[in-house]
Amino acid sequence: MVTALGQRIIFSFSHVWGVLSLLAFALWAAVTPPIRVRETVQQLSFVIWGSAPVVLLSVSFAAAVTIMEASFHMKIVVQNDSLVPGFAALLILRELGVVVTALLVTSRVGAGYAAEVASMQVTEQIDALKMLGIHPVRYLLVPRLYASILGVMVLTVLANMVCIYVAMLVSQWSLGYSSGSFLMAMRAFVTFQDLVFSVIKAGFFGAVIPLFSLYFGLRCQAGAEGVGVATTNSVVATSVTIIMMDFVLSYIFSYFY
Amino acid sequence: MLKVLKDIVEDIGGGVLFMREVLAVALFYPCSFRSISEQIVKVTEQSWFTTAVAGFFVGAIMTVQFTMQVQQFGALGYLGGLATSGTIREVGPLLIAFMLSGKVGAFTSAELGTMRVTEQIDAVRCLGANPIQEIILPRWVGIVCSSFFLLAVGLLMSIGGGLLMGLYFSGISAQEYLRHIPTIVTSFSIFSGLFKCLVFAMVLASICTYKGYTASGGARGVGKAVVNTAVATMVAIVIADWVTSVFSEVALRIYMGE
Repeated sequence: MVTALGQRIIFSFSHVWGVLSLLAFALWAAVTPPIRVRETVQQLSFVIWGSAPVVLLSVSFAAAVTIMEASFHMKIVVQNDSLVPGFAALLILRELGVVVTALLVTSRVGAGYAAEVASMQVTEQIDALKMLGIHPVRYLLVPRLYASILGVMVLTVLANMVCIYVAMLVSQWSLGYSSGSFLMAMRAFVTFQDLVFSVIKAGFFGAVIPLFSLYFGLRCQAGAEGVGVATTNSVVATSVTIIMMDFVLSYIFSYFY
Repeated sequence: MLKVLKDIVEDIGGGVLFMREVLAVALFYPCSFRSISEQIVKVTEQSWFTTAVAGFFVGAIMTVQFTMQVQQFGALGYLGGLATSGTIREVGPLLIAFMLSGKVGAFTSAELGTMRVTEQIDAVRCLGANPIQEIILPRWVGIVCSSFFLLAVGLLMSIGGGLLMGLYFSGISAQEYLRHIPTIVTSFSIFSGLFKCLVFAMVLASICTYKGYTASGGARGVGKAVVNTAVATMVAIVIADWVTSVFSEVALRIYMGE
């Protein structure tokens, strides 16, 4: 048991080292030419159009649940619903909007990148790129990195908007708020920093997604099984990293309010 | 747009028919207890570490967030109860199930998809065995049991993570943190959280076995099946989260006699 755990920890440290060196390379490659603008725009449209319906549908359900739960807790602690809009809006803007969006983009886009790159690796297309004198990591990673960072930021802003809107609708139906009084109650809590910090978080999460996908996709073993394993590993590693980074960023941002 | 809708409806229909088939097999040709326990051990062994870590961090995040909100009212005494209740009732099951859908769901659909494209499932059928009885049913039951267990463990870990952050971030003592947990977290809340865990486990198991079993088209097909599984599971979990919340609210009203 202990040996297995130790082996697993050493194994994951080797992965951490690999991802960090990939990150260092990506930072260098992202600012040196050639930067493929056309490719970046294509990837950006894939990220945004591909995941917008899924993300918006899911976060609207999450927002409906949040407002119901907030009302449940407020009834226990302060016996009325007066603080519900503020608490729900803060929870949505600081936590749920960005984390749920990032996790959904992970499964939609990140898993897609991993599967794509892994099947390129299995069918020797990566080797073909090398033959053509193109650096495969630079060619694949840099456009996806830019696209994913920008895309997750845009999606988070959209998701926050939809979330607040759905929360407003639900509180009108079930708690008897008018939209004006909901917004007034919300404004007492929400500050401008909340919006800025949620977009910053989104940028960090967006950067994590292609890094892990490319890392696991390029290390894919041959065959159909390898593709499946690479995709699974990239989704798991990305989501765990997103949750951990969310904690670290929340902790850091709490000093700026 | 219409084609996307048609795909979604077809997927849901196919999934329901598939589950009906699995249910029929489960009633008339049950699989061996041994194969189910093998799956339970495998899934749990693979995922306990990830789930525990995720649960710990979810609890920690919720405490940090609630501290900032509660502090404005000087009501830090309620922090433990509120953060724990919020985590157990909603955020905890949701985020930990997201994590499991990546770990267990994607893994199972990759495994089944590989079996499908390398024609191992057809080989099982050729040998005269029923692939649903031999392959799908033990996995479905195993995933439901172990995911439920793992989600519950994740929720326990989240209480630990929240307590730690209560000590080091909000600066209140452990007694103060724990004092309001019993008053705010009622047994009904725990029941509703565990009910959510059970529903999420069933959603997860159904989608990943269906998508893996119906994969086609070589290595690329396996990748596609995994991606589709991850997306479909997450969306289904969010919707199930809402449905179970409504359900447990209605149940609470009936229970309270309103």
